[in-house]
This record gives sequence, C-alpha cells and structure tokens, in this order.
Amino acid sequence: MKQSALIVTPPPHLKLERTVGGAMRDVMLALLPISAVSVYFYHAFALKLISLCVVTALATEYVFRRARGQRVTLSDGSAALTGLFVALLFSPTTPVLTAMLATFLAVGVAKELMGGLGRNRLNPALFGRVAIIFLAPLLPFLNQIPLYWSVDTVTRATPLAKLAQGWDMPSTWELFVAFPGGALSETSPLALLVGAAFLLYRGHIRWHIPVSMLASIFVLTFILGQNPVQHLVTGGIMLGAFFMATDWVTSPITKQGKLIFGFAIGVLVVIFRLFLPPPEGVAFSILIMNAFVPLLERVTRRASFSEPVSAPTTG
Amino acid sequence: MDAGTLREGEGRSFVGGMHIPEYKSLTNDVPIRRMAIPDRVIVPLMQHSGAPCEPLVQVGATVQLGQKIGDSEEFISAPVHATLSGTVVAIERRTHPAGEAVECVVIEGKGEQGEFVPVAKNNPDQMSPEELKDAIKEAGLVGMGGAAFPTYVNINTRQPVDTLILNGAECEPFLTCDHRLMVERADELITGADILMRCIGAKKTFIGIESNKLDAIRILSSKTKAREDMEVVPLAVKYPQGYKSYLIKTITGRDVPRGARSAALGCIVRNVGTTFAVYEAVVHGKPFIERIITVSGPEVPNRGNYIVRLGTPADFILREAGVDPNQLAGNKVIFGGPMTGLAQSDLNVPVVKNTTGVLVLPSELVREQVPYTACVRCGVCVERCPNWLYPHQLSILSEYGMYEEMQQWDIWDCIECGVCAYVCPSQRPIVHFVKRAKTVIDNMS
Ligand code: SF4
Ligand code: SF4
Repeated sequence: MKQSALIVTPPPHLKLERTVGGAMRDVMLALLPISAVSVYFYHAFALKLISLCVVTALATEYVFRRARGQRVTLSDGSAALTGLFVALLFSPTTPVLTAMLATFLAVGVAKELMGGLGRNRLNPALFGRVAIIFLAPLLPFLNQIPLYWSVDTVTRATPLAKLAQGWDMPSTWELFVAFPGGALSETSPLALLVGAAFLLYRGHIRWHIPVSMLASIFVLTFILGQNPVQHLVTGGIMLGAFFMATDWVTSPITKQGKLIFGFAIGVLVVIFRLFLPPPEGVAFSILIMNAFVPLLERVTRRASFSEPVSAPTTG
Repeated sequence: MDAGTLREGEGRSFVGGMHIPEYKSLTNDVPIRRMAIPDRVIVPLMQHSGAPCEPLVQVGATVQLGQKIGDSEEFISAPVHATLSGTVVAIERRTHPAGEAVECVVIEGKGEQGEFVPVAKNNPDQMSPEELKDAIKEAGLVGMGGAAFPTYVNINTRQPVDTLILNGAECEPFLTCDHRLMVERADELITGADILMRCIGAKKTFIGIESNKLDAIRILSSKTKAREDMEVVPLAVKYPQGYKSYLIKTITGRDVPRGARSAALGCIVRNVGTTFAVYEAVVHGKPFIERIITVSGPEVPNRGNYIVRLGTPADFILREAGVDPNQLAGNKVIFGGPMTGLAQSDLNVPVVKNTTGVLVLPSELVREQVPYTACVRCGVCVERCPNWLYPHQLSILSEYGMYEEMQQWDIWDCIECGVCAYVCPSQRPIVHFVKRAKTVIDNMS
C-alpha cells in the first residue's frame, strides 16, 4: 500500500516563519523614519530621488535576470531595498542620470553580475555610490538633467563640509535630532537609530559591528583631539554603522570577525576624515573592509564543539 | 536548584541550539494507555545500530510471545523477539521506517496471547553485575531515544564509569512518551537506574529533565530527595538538549571530543525509556517486545501516549488513533519527532525499538515546499548550530559537490539536528545536503 498523496520530504519537518523577503521588508520599514525626515526637509526632491532609484533598481534586476534566463526575484525585496539605499546616499539635488547610473551599477554590476543576492562581495549600494564619484568627472552629460529645475532652496553646505572648513556649526543636539544638509540619510541620526533599534529588536542585525565601529571612531577622534560626538552625528556614520556595514552578505559571519570588521571600518573612517580628501569616507571604508571579509572569517573560525580541547582522551 | 520554586523554561543548558514550538500540550497530560494488539506484526531483524540478526525461526513455525526469533554472533548487535503469539507467515524484505528495506519476520496471530517467555528468572538483588548485563543483552535492549545502540554494548565497559545520566530531556517537539513515563513510572525508573548503576559501577546518577516537565521534575525530585547518589537536574527548554554530547557537557561540564565513547569520559547516558526497559527486563524478565510511543498531531482524534507492540504497522496505529489512513492526502506521517524523524511513504512500516512517536502533520504545519534560494549569509544557522559548525558553508560546498572541503568544515561532527534548516530564511535544506554528502564521501573511500 503506497499512499502516494502523503507528503514525503526530508527532516526537519518544522520551519521557522522567516524569509529573506520578510527581512528585507523589515529593513525598509526601519528606513521609514529617515526617509520621512528627508522628505520633511527636502520635499519633492527626496520623494523624486527615492522613487527614481527604486524604480531603476527594480527595472535593472528584471532586465538582468531576464537576459540571463534566471528566475525574477523582485518579490524578495532586495532590489527595491538597494534602490532605496542608493537614494539615501545621495543629496537631494543629484541629477537624474547620476542617480540612475548609480542604481544601475549597484543592482546590475555589484549584485547581479556577481551572481545575485548572496554571492556579491561588495555592498551594492555603496559600490554604486562610490563608482559615481569616479565616473562623474568622466561623464559630464550625467549632469544634464537635474532632478528639479529650481534648486536654490536646498543647496546648503553640509554640516560635514562646515566641520571641515571650521565654520559655525549647528549644535550637536540639533545635528543629532534633525538638520537639513547633505545626503538624504544625513538629515537625522536619531531617525536612523530608531530604525536600527527596530532591526536589533527583530534580530536582523547584531550589535557587534555598529558598536565596535562607533567605539573605535569615538576613541580615535577623542585621542586625536576632536569632538567625538560631533563626528558620530555627521556624515554617513550612523547609516554606515547600522545599515551598511551590517549587510548580511558583505559582512563577516563570525562574532569576532564582526568585531574586527567594525573596528577596522572605524579606523579607516577616521583616517579618511582627518587625513584624506574624499568626503565619502564611510562608503570607502566599508567597501575596503568588504574585501577583507573572507580573510576575517578564516582567521576567526571557531573550533567545532567536538574538537579535542587539549590532549585527546585516550580510550 | 529547588524543584519547588523552579519555573518553566529555567534550567541549565549548553551553548547554541534554540527553543522550538513544543506542541507537547496535545498529549502531555494524556496517561499512558495500552493500544490494541494487531493480528499481524512485522518484526525487522535489524532494529539497532550494528550487525543485523539472523532469523532463528522458519516460515510456518509457531512462536510464543517473547520468544527469541533473531540473534547475531557479532558483539555489536541485539536479539529480537516475537511480539505476537502466532505463526510466522513470511521472512522477507520490508520497508523499515529508516527508509531502506530490511529482512523482517512477519507473524500472524489472533486471540489468546499468554504470558511472554521470560529472559531471566533470578531475583535481581542476588544477581551479579555480569548476570544483570546478560539479562539486558538477552532482552534485546537498545537506546530507545535515538541511534538504537545496543545497551549491553554501551554498559559493558571495563573503564571506570563514575556517572550515569538518565536522559529525560525529550527535546523534540510533540513527543511526550518519556514525560508520561517519568510521571507515571517513577519508582520503576529509579529501580532501573539502580540496576544500571550496579552494572557499570557508577557512584552518581543525574536525571536531566527539561523544565517544561515540571511535574516529572517534582515527582522524581521528591522520590530521590533522601538519596545522595541521585539528583534531578532541571534543563532549559532548548533543542537539541537531549543529544548525548550536550547533555554530558551541560550536566558534568566535561568536553566530548569527537570519537570518544561516553564511557571514556566517565559517564554513560541512557534514555529514560531504556532505563524503564532495563527495570522490566531484569525484575520481570521481560524481553523488549513493546514500548511507549506518542501518537500525535493537531487533528488526530485519539492522540496520546500508547504502549504498542514492536512491529505494529503504522496504519494500524493510525486507525486506533481515529485516523483513516486513506484520507491523509496532503499530510505527513512522521516516525519520530518533527526535527529528526522521517516522513513515511508506505504506511505498512512497523514501529521499531527506537520509534518514539507516530505523528500526523497537516501541510500548514510542515515546511512549505518552496524552492530554496542562495545563502544570504544571515548567520543565524551559525549562531544556532549546537555543534558550533558553519552550516551555511556546508550547504554551499555541497551544492558545488566540494566534498573534500566539507570534511575540512567538520561535516562529520554534524549531528543532523535540523536547527540550521529550521532557521534558514532562504529555506535551504542543509541537513539533506549534509546527509547526501556523507553518503557520497562514504562511498568514495
Ligand atoms: S544539523 Fe548539523 S550543521 Fe545543522 S545545526 Fe545541527 S549540527 Fe549544526
Ligand atoms: S541560515 Fe541560511 S541564509 Fe542564513 S547563513 Fe545559514 S544558510 Fe545562509
């Protein structure tokens, strides 16, 4: 008697309700506060930039997957999320083609060409953002189409630029809560922390990377005679620490590896900020460390529970 | 820890693993009942790890309940007994719940069963450890919770073993047969432990019980209160707490390196069901002819904990539990717990010595049959793996057929507990990958 209609699959037979798509949706939810703040400050500029990048990301993934005969996986939300991340990394006056190219590079090159979600080595959004820094001077036509024709209301110097030039600064508290200037994600460290708390609570990210990264920035800037708190609340540090460096695919899987990874990013960020020209130091630092993830995982590999501790018990 | 103030969930544990929904309230207050005896039993000659038995009877022979019908000359093996008085109608290959077909003795019989043929008739108090061990060997006892390793081999150690651990963790969801046994047969269990202690010369017995079984902890604590040499250890409710190595580590703090037999660590772990069977074998001379199993599932009408004859086919058990075996389309029938048990395709498979339960899981409860996707390196499997492995690596290497590398990632240490596959957001069948690779590697060498 063969009951062919019985389900027969290998164990385990139970499954935790947990999917990649669900996690991606949670990350988007965690980015809602910062998106809202950026829309509050930048109005239609922020909205336009976000929609532009998300749509470009979805289209890019669709085209790449189709062209290569793969299953289209837009529903896992990872393309849309990458688009949102790219938008948040740019300032509201970013020209249309620049934002689109960055998104295309993020999703098409850094993710799909590397083998799709899970196989990419570099954080896609950061890759797209940094690539633009190099490409923009070579491709002047990128600036042809501005996001909005009258832009004077939002072109203020960013707090970070003021910091570099020793200008009058808004108070650290203002910078922490909400202050316009710079990329969409730089408007409110507080909003980012709210989202980060949600991600920690939901178990999508662990504390190791953000804590070691922020701690190393704090300590190093302090030693070098800077105002550490001011550093932490400016630029892309908060977004980088909680949302970019913690990206599952491109960060170490071991706890020790995570701690070293975060620490090293912090050191690089300080070096970039204090001694090197490019303003996107956080993006550079994370991308550099992305490349070291396999090495970090190798040196921090833990021993199996069954590994003989000292002298093996002789039987 | 004081059993009186202990709260559910508290207790000692190990590093790794996780809490999994228990589903135990379906059956954990249903007293043990005896299930009807079928007209036909299928007794596999291989119900243990080790060498299979040779049949001692021929087709057509009349057998008496408890009569030895299969045995082996090999050291690592365990005899099997007739679990029904009647006639041997076939000796042929039949599907075993572990999947492959093995030689089975099929017995048919109706009506008067008579007393079982006892394996030992001595007064246990006057038996020497050697005689006790012989009775355990003759009764065909094996580990009833897991790998079905012959108990006689396990306790027949010349090394000094100071500690006996009774495994009452019962960490698999749904299963409650060990729980009920500890509640309802506490005195017999303690006697069984005394016998095992005499066999191995242990000075101390720990009874490890997950603290979702507070009544069992209280009863056994109060019964062992006056004894220096027996102690109940409440354990955290965490899967796979009942795995031998983690139990040893949790209770004694001793490390369990690969390849070391537990005797070499000075402790022996026995499941509470096995310990009860030791009591029955030695005190009543009863061979291993029946066991307690949990029959459960959210839609099973007469779910509960039943004493069933070994060799009872699954469809008989399902009918007794009020389930029509022909109406199970879209369900899973599992022998064992839902984390490590095997889904059956043929409902003729019999209950064997290490069958802990027969579960009927409707499709909404079991893993969705969605295609798995690439590892997104979320790291949860690494955090939860109780053996501190890198399940994601094993699964990726297996996809590429990189078996050599899988050995470098300690594939042989994987206990196939299923935690990694349970948590994976990409629905990767990691345990399946590991099992497949182990088979391939075995065949290569
Ligand atoms: S099945 Fe193996 S790899 Fe997976 S969690 Fe259990 S021991 Fe670890
Ligand atoms: S749980 Fe799944 S997705 Fe996450 S690291 Fe493990 S194998 Fe990869």
